[in-house]
Amino acid sequence: MKSQSTQRNLKSLLLNSEILAVVAILMALTFFLTTRGLPMVLTILVDFAVFAIITMSLNLETGFTGIPQFGRVLAVIAGAFAVGAIPGRLLAALMGLPAGLNYTIDTVQFQVSPELTAALSGSWMLSLLFLFICLVIAALSGAGIGWLTSRPAIRLREAYLGISLLAFGDFLMWVGHNWVPLVGGSTSVFVPDPFRIFGGARFEAVVIAIFLAALLVYAYLNRLTVSPFGRALKMVRDNEVSASAAGKDIVKIRTQSLVIGSMLAAIAGGLYVIYTGTVTAMGYSRLVWTFWPWAFMMLGGIGSTAGMLLGVMVLTIMRTLITVYRFEVFGFLMAWGINPLWLEFTLMGAVIIGVILFLPHGLVPEKVQSILPASRVNSILSKGFGAKLQ
Amino acid sequence: MAPWLATGLIYASALALAAGGITLLYMSTRTFNFAHASMATIGFYVIYTGSVLGGGTPYRYFPLAFLIGGLLGVICYYGLNRPLLKRRAVEITLMMSTLGYDLILLSVIQMYCDYLTFSRRLFPRRVSMSIYDFELLGVSAATIILPLVAIVFLTALHLFLVKTRFGVAMRATIENPVLAGASGINADRVYMLAWVIGGGMAALGGAAMSMAITGTPVLGMNSIPFMFAGAIFGGLHSLYGGILGGFVIGMTEYAGVFYLSQIFGPWVLGYRMGIPLLLMAATLLIFPRGLAGIPWAALVRNLFGKKGGIRV
Repeated sequence: MKSQSTQRNLKSLLLNSEILAVVAILMALTFFLTTRGLPMVLTILVDFAVFAIITMSLNLETGFTGIPQFGRVLAVIAGAFAVGAIPGRLLAALMGLPAGLNYTIDTVQFQVSPELTAALSGSWMLSLLFLFICLVIAALSGAGIGWLTSRPAIRLREAYLGISLLAFGDFLMWVGHNWVPLVGGSTSVFVPDPFRIFGGARFEAVVIAIFLAALLVYAYLNRLTVSPFGRALKMVRDNEVSASAAGKDIVKIRTQSLVIGSMLAAIAGGLYVIYTGTVTAMGYSRLVWTFWPWAFMMLGGIGSTAGMLLGVMVLTIMRTLITVYRFEVFGFLMAWGINPLWLEFTLMGAVIIGVILFLPHGLVPEKVQSILPASRVNSILSKGFGAKLQ
Repeated sequence: MAPWLATGLIYASALALAAGGITLLYMSTRTFNFAHASMATIGFYVIYTGSVLGGGTPYRYFPLAFLIGGLLGVICYYGLNRPLLKRRAVEITLMMSTLGYDLILLSVIQMYCDYLTFSRRLFPRRVSMSIYDFELLGVSAATIILPLVAIVFLTALHLFLVKTRFGVAMRATIENPVLAGASGINADRVYMLAWVIGGGMAALGGAAMSMAITGTPVLGMNSIPFMFAGAIFGGLHSLYGGILGGFVIGMTEYAGVFYLSQIFGPWVLGYRMGIPLLLMAATLLIFPRGLAGIPWAALVRNLFGKKGGIRV
């Protein structure tokens, strides 16, 4: 009897998609580490961390609150542009360098930016302070854009809201592309590098920092979603009428969810900008910063925070595989002059379709949580309510 | 004719076709078709390939563009939309599934461009289709032909919906699928036809649009917000509303940018996409369900003195 149940446990363990995915991820990472070395693995980790934060924030709004957030790029842009435009200017103004509207013009940039980074690489204090200010500015602008998007989100339903958010994400990108004082228009703005102080270990340091940030966000969201607030979010998602009947302020809850989610996404945008060191407006397309997080989220399992980590990791590794083996495996495409990198789009599309058709709940399906622990429910039942029934 | 008006007419006709397709698909299958983007781009590449390799004017290849768009629609219906509709998937899932299809089509388009560049020594990534155009009555032919194409196509569609048995069946299914099914109408075939017409309209729209703006592999990708804006502006509950919405959105962009740049200077050009979006946002804020709150179709009918009939 006992061996039978162990056997069943073992079987369910092997068939469990979460565990299989984790094992596959670990194998792939080891494989990359042995064949391509540490930098490859670190690149995967940093891609993973940035998109994990964005996908988790998307999941908070879409998976937990039921808002069709097709404008994720809005908040990412808010964070990225703010970090590109403001902290560098502040530092330049402090040092008496040009910090006005002309700060973002490329000739001024080439002159100012090395001086700023040199100043940062001289002092731990200044670097830390600068990083902190960057994150605060990103968070504030993200919260601001989240609040702004919450205004239509109260009135509009479903697809109408999704399309409006999508359109305004595009518009913000074009504003950045055309208005030079923001982030340099069609040229790039350099972001002073607070990690330069690590010298040769700069890359490792920035990867570890962003990875830790992703873990922090994960821990925070995990706590948030099992809190009364998290349950209120799900209540609004599942049935607005019953939520408002239970005394929940739907407008307030949707607004809070959008503000928190956008803040996190903006922080991810800011961190990404600090990691790459430049901001180019046209790099913030809806394809990469809205649709890919959606694909990650759907693979991971909408409504499960742990699933987001798995979804992002699995797809990041698959994308890296395409990049690494574009000549060895997909080289036959080169005969017609086709760049195998386009397969990345095919992969994303196929993953979205495959998940919708064959794995509708994702790798980690959302677990139905009872609001009270079973022991509490039993004790309540045995005391009053249950006694009457008997 | 002023240049902005000429280009604006072509662009607006293209948007009217595309937005009409989106509205038709939404009304019949509840699907917001993201794949409209790549279907439109494919329409453009059909007429581009035809004009470059086959010769002749681009207009010869418009029927082919329609057919290929329709074929892509059928593939989407049978491969993706039908199983999901049977499962009673929610709107967002239907929308996301077409996004997946769109990304696959986008990669196919990009690969096709690579192929044309490498194997055929062409430059398909920045194309100005107007160089294949000819002059008619003192203006470029597209200014006259494309609005005509749009009008003829939409009239044919209207006649099909009103005069033929299948068209009536289609309207009945859109109006009330359960009742239509009970009276023996095959909803499956109706949806398939909606995808044929919707996909074809997307491809036609993309082909027409490339006569007004630079054709790139992301032509549809960049203009899909406006197609959606047109459909939403029109209210999503009336095919004619969607067509009108697309036309208004397209014309507003060109007229608005022309007059604003006269007042504020040429820098306005960079923010042109803000104009239709503001129009859409304003409409949505006043009527959260789009212009469906206003009985557009009834207004138009009253305008022409027609009464009765089923609203499509």
